[in-house]
Amino acid sequence: MNQPFIDLLTPFLPHLGDRPLTEDSRLHDLGMNSMKAIDLLFAIEDGLGVSLPDEDLNDATFATAGSLWAAVQRAGAAEGDRRAAA
Amino acid sequence: MSVSAVREPTTGAGSRLGALPADASGADLWRVLGAENRLAGVYRGNDPRRGVDTAALSALLTDLDRRFGVGSTLAVTVPLATCLPLLAAGTGPAARTLADSLDGRTVVALAATDENSGCDLAGLDTSVSFDGEHLRLDGTKRWITNATTCGAVLVLARHRPGPHFTNFTWVLVPADAPGVRAEPAGTELFDGSGTGHLTFDGVRLTRDHVVGGTGRGLTAFAAHIATERLAGALWAGALCERVLRDTARHLGRRGDGDGVLWEKEGIRQRWAGALLRSRQHRALTESLAEAVAARRDTSAAALLKASAGETVAHVLDVCAHLQGAHGFRTGGPQQLRAQGALFGIGGGTTEVVLGIVAETAPESGAEERP
Repeated sequence: MNQPFIDLLTPFLPHLGDRPLTEDSRLHDLGMNSMKAIDLLFAIEDGLGVSLPDEDLNDATFATAGSLWAAVQRAGAAEGDRRAAA
Repeated sequence: MSVSAVREPTTGAGSRLGALPADASGADLWRVLGAENRLAGVYRGNDPRRGVDTAALSALLTDLDRRFGVGSTLAVTVPLATCLPLLAAGTGPAARTLADSLDGRTVVALAATDENSGCDLAGLDTSVSFDGEHLRLDGTKRWITNATTCGAVLVLARHRPGPHFTNFTWVLVPADAPGVRAEPAGTELFDGSGTGHLTFDGVRLTRDHVVGGTGRGLTAFAAHIATERLAGALWAGALCERVLRDTARHLGRRGDGDGVLWEKEGIRQRWAGALLRSRQHRALTESLAEAVAARRDTSAAALLKASAGETVAHVLDVCAHLQGAHGFRTGGPQQLRAQGALFGIGGGTTEVVLGIVAETAPESGAEERP
């Protein structure tokens, strides 16, 4: 996970405290509820400039920091491919 | 303080709108506003995708509140604040319906609240299932504005079981599609709003009637209900100021001994207390409007919704009491009190939005709890 992603995700995890965020960190256990998850999705799309595809909109994507990071990377790569093709 | 402390609005109305009778329905208002190109004008750059122009929206709602009933104004507010921006995220049928709506040729209803789950949208039962290029919709929605007058309905449905926020999807349903049934709600409080209940029984449509993408139902709802809450706050401010003006005018004319009621200090203070609440609501709305309109700030929108519900209840309670028996006339503040309860219930109860405020307020220390 890169630092901009960690910086973006951390404010949505009120129970993280001083612990490091790892790919195995379970978002629900760290305080992520539905309302925060919706705001997080807004932040990802606005802040990182990627839009998660419909097939990645599921509970597995939002299960851990690592699963969300993987979806963001896939969306970023697809966005890059679209730009290159344009 | 003079009785003119709350100024009359100076916004004008288009000629055709001004020609409508005071009891015109929301569907009539929508048709005329569209024909006069006043619907697109509430959005930045006349584009619903860019969010609302707060000043333009406020001017329109103030105008409608002054001229027409609560039900009819409600019937314009909901599609303007929520349905059209939602449709703007779609293509195909959604894009065509958006164009028809902006021109006033059709009204779109927003059907989110389910028969049994109420404000708990994650618990709704209305379902959409997919079969190749088609979808099937089943469920019941209750207390839906424009249900009996709309040409199409935006329906929030689940495509997967479970409460996760990605399990919900918007579907655009033509009101005349086989399997759609509308019945009026049993109420006299919202004349002109077309409020009713909608049943979807095996409604079959092509898959391009999904709006905004599968799994984006609650996300889109969160973004656009914020705008509806801003619209409600703007309307609440206009409503309170209108009733305060009417009440001051009544008190200035109502005889009491050798003078008029307005000269009694206790009455003036009670009226001024209500004016204070109204002005506080107006100031809060102005301070948070940009955050909601430009950044879809759900916390700010929740605060505005809570303020609108509580301010309308307080101001109408005071004004209804100050007007005495006169307040019971048709369309008077006693009737408005019952209608005004809508501000504390529709689109999320005051308790629900205060919960959001507590959850998101930095001062709550939520992030410090284990």
